[in-house]
Amino acid sequence: MATLTSTNQAIKSRFRLTHLRYTLRNWLFLIPALFFFIGYQIYPILRVFWLSFTDYRYLSQDPPRWVGLDNFANVIVDPLMWDGLWRAAQFTLMFLPGTIILPLLLAILVDRVTHQRLATFYRVILLIPAVIPGTLVFVLWKWMYNFQIGPINYILVEVLGLFTPQTAPQWLGGTALTLPAVAIFEVWWGLGYHAMFFLAGLAAIPKELSEAARIDGANEWRLFWHVTLPRLQPIMAILVVLRFGSAMAVIDEYLIFGGFNRASPTYTWTIYMYDMAFKIGQWQQGYAAAIGWIGAIAMMGVVAILLYIFRPRD
Amino acid sequence: MQAAAVTTYRRRKRLGVIMRHVVINFFMLVILLPLAWVLLLSVKSLPDAYSGALWPQQFDFTHYNYVIQKIDTLPTNLFNSIYVTAATVIITTFCAVLGGFALVHLELSWKNLLVFLFLASLYFPTRVVSLISIFEIQRYLNLINTTSGLILPYVTLNLAISVLIMRSIFEQVPKELMDASRIDGCGPWKSLWVVGLPLAANGIVVVIIVNFVTAWGEFLLGATLTNDQIVRTMPVVLASASGGMGQWAWPRIAAVYIIVVTPGIIAFAFAQRLFFKGLMEGALKV
Repeated sequence: MATLTSTNQAIKSRFRLTHLRYTLRNWLFLIPALFFFIGYQIYPILRVFWLSFTDYRYLSQDPPRWVGLDNFANVIVDPLMWDGLWRAAQFTLMFLPGTIILPLLLAILVDRVTHQRLATFYRVILLIPAVIPGTLVFVLWKWMYNFQIGPINYILVEVLGLFTPQTAPQWLGGTALTLPAVAIFEVWWGLGYHAMFFLAGLAAIPKELSEAARIDGANEWRLFWHVTLPRLQPIMAILVVLRFGSAMAVIDEYLIFGGFNRASPTYTWTIYMYDMAFKIGQWQQGYAAAIGWIGAIAMMGVVAILLYIFRPRD
Repeated sequence: MQAAAVTTYRRRKRLGVIMRHVVINFFMLVILLPLAWVLLLSVKSLPDAYSGALWPQQFDFTHYNYVIQKIDTLPTNLFNSIYVTAATVIITTFCAVLGGFALVHLELSWKNLLVFLFLASLYFPTRVVSLISIFEIQRYLNLINTTSGLILPYVTLNLAISVLIMRSIFEQVPKELMDASRIDGCGPWKSLWVVGLPLAANGIVVVIIVNFVTAWGEFLLGATLTNDQIVRTMPVVLASASGGMGQWAWPRIAAVYIIVVTPGIIAFAFAQRLFFKGLMEGALKV
């Protein structure tokens, strides 16, 4: 009897051991990804959250002190924070409609191209801007808008004669035109890539559906409104939410185009955070951390609302 | 009467097709013209470049040779970019293939939580918020102002999306196929290598291209974590260069620009067939 129980236990513990080995082996597959994901994303976000409760200043010799919610209380009444959020929101409002509607239109047109070679050709060109890294796009357009050599002002002044060299629009350097200028090239950048998203969605719509609607007498407009658009809604929802997120958190473009002039419309909450953390005074990273987190929380609030609006309704 | 109506219908349809191609080609021009302009700028003679005129009176093809020979930090910056990008792409692809495979075909607890975290990180402004702490980590590891140090944070830039892409690619690989390979005596490593990888090849192309584009052009971390021109990557150098005289005259930085932008476009042109297949197989379904 006693031996039987012990054998049983041996088998059980052996089974447990093998099971543990399997589990460990399976987790081994995820360890490389988790190492980087936790080390350089999860931990930094939590660490910054912790810093936002201290008065940590990078260049100061004093050890950081715990200040509770002081930073948050100060950021919430900081007019620069509100200006920063409002500026980012203005940019988002300029950018978001264009980057959804134009690619949708383009995708519907390209989707109807029946000539196989031509269709492939169009698709390749559509994706060219998407394989140009962001910074190279910003640099290219920084030159395009340049006062001295840029073709945009050259066309406006010399070719079309809409302006004189004195009145030619000043696109860069934090004028009222800088945010629209950034929005224009951001739309250019996403044009092909987003059109590809919509093309994938359009390819999934059964052709019989639109044929049936046509036979029932629907015109192109009604077809678009009642058949195509509802089918594209999931893709559109993802694009709107993702692009809202990237537009509110734009930072590279503003660093390259606007610098750290506080009056510039490009001085958004992200630039304010960067300025505080790495440029001004003693590098008040505790305060900057609170700026970052409040910006993120404000964004997440809108994302939640957007996800609710676009929730699947079946 | 009937015949006339049919002709008008055909004519209108034909007009529609022509209009469609006109509009599409307009958009294609909008996409291509800025690139054509900078290409043209890189072969303009100096006076033509500064006159702003679109078509040069005199071409000058010596700028490419000039920038390689005369700007002494440039070859180093180019090498830095190649080194950092290659390392980032290899490491991220490795992580994403293993991770994506495990999330579909291996037994794990907390799978859904992991997928949720990867997804959530796409919506959270991670890049901006984590910057302060990444600076701190790099300083702690003595990696500030080093080229190699950039690789670590670069890997995470597209890690979540890469894992999710590979996950949706591996979801297309039938479970029965995996079970069959297991019955034939394959462990998970072998069934990934023998069964999974060949079927996931197009998805891997997508992951490689996505990561190449990000690492090749990264600016924010590159500018924040390095100080000296000699350790910097090309995008940081290009972003701070503005056309003056001498080394950094406009056509010359345009030549640098073309040197930096071309490899990506050529690689994409070669891989585009696989890339599109990968996109259609599920990379867009993330």
